[in-house]
Amino acid sequence: MTTIEIITSLFLAVGAFFTFLSAVGVIRLRDVYSRVHAAGKSSTFGMIFLMLSTFVYFIPKGIFNIKILLAILFVFMTAPLGALLINRSAYRSGVAMEKNTVQDDLKEVYKDELQESSE
Amino acid sequence: MALQILLNILIAVLWMFLQSSFTPATFVFGYLIGILILYLMRKFLIVKFDLRKVRIWALVKLFFLFVVELAKANIDMVKVVLNPRMDHQPGIVAVRTKLNTEVEITLLAALISLTPGTVSMDFSPDNKTIYIHAIDVPDKEEMRKDIHNSFERAILEVMR
Amino acid sequence: MFTIIVYTALVVIVISLLIFLIRIFIGPTVSDRIVGLDALGVTLVGFIGVIMILQDTIAYSDVALVLSILSFVGTVAMSKFIERGVVFDDD
Repeated sequence: MTTIEIITSLFLAVGAFFTFLSAVGVIRLRDVYSRVHAAGKSSTFGMIFLMLSTFVYFIPKGIFNIKILLAILFVFMTAPLGALLINRSAYRSGVAMEKNTVQDDLKEVYKDELQESSE
Repeated sequence: MALQILLNILIAVLWMFLQSSFTPATFVFGYLIGILILYLMRKFLIVKFDLRKVRIWALVKLFFLFVVELAKANIDMVKVVLNPRMDHQPGIVAVRTKLNTEVEITLLAALISLTPGTVSMDFSPDNKTIYIHAIDVPDKEEMRKDIHNSFERAILEVMR
Repeated sequence: MFTIIVYTALVVIVISLLIFLIRIFIGPTVSDRIVGLDALGVTLVGFIGVIMILQDTIAYSDVALVLSILSFVGTVAMSKFIERGVVFDDD
């Protein structure tokens, strides 16, 4: 194995691990808001490493593919916004939180609106 | 106007990368397409900040803060997801902020989403309070202090 | 040796994609399905990257770029839709 293949394999292993972690989190956690943590952070992190490994693999062949880096940049910029929108829409459409929730500061803000929609 | 020209050059360079051809003709064509895009989106480009005030070094520091926080957040996720008892205590915490322009609040919300165990959820109507969903809140005062001390300060360094 | 590592990573990613699909099927709310679809879109981009290594070609880089944009647009549209029942609002 050449050096570049070892670096690529390392990145691939990290990326695949975090992608799998994200999948386990999405299936194991108990409410939507916690699942957004797993889906938003870990899958973005895993995908960044997978695309970096692809970028590194093509460097010794003399190909600098900027499109791969652009894909990383787009996902990196849009993942927090996607997580925010999913969370907000879930709360506004009245998805219940899990049973050992200790704190809910948003309840007063949406009290009137949620009662209206449930009537 | 300086911001528009900068964005236009950025779109032209992006067009060159997408076409994978680095000739002046491609650049000119990309610049023309950039003029069209900026004309169509002129209603959304109301973001005003002074380019001369933005400090490059602080911006680089902010970017590295993003990357480091993302890595820490994922190590934290490993602990939460692979914990066999699943006894974390989630909650929604309201955090007041000193930042007032839209760019700064957007940056803060994005930064919160990438920190360990927190995702920003909603804003109050006057844009002064951010509601944060945390996957584990043993002590909410400490969490508020953490956000005030590290992220708000880093963003204020870049913008002011 | 290198090919075996790439294939192993590919298998792990495919298992993750299948788990996301299970979450999309069992729900239980619409928001859960949106979470699953969002993660599925992001993971598919990485999947295409591994396929590019395996087949030794950069022809799919456009696919990865467009998919990374479209999955975000899809998430935003679905979230806005279940929030108020409208995708475009005027304010």
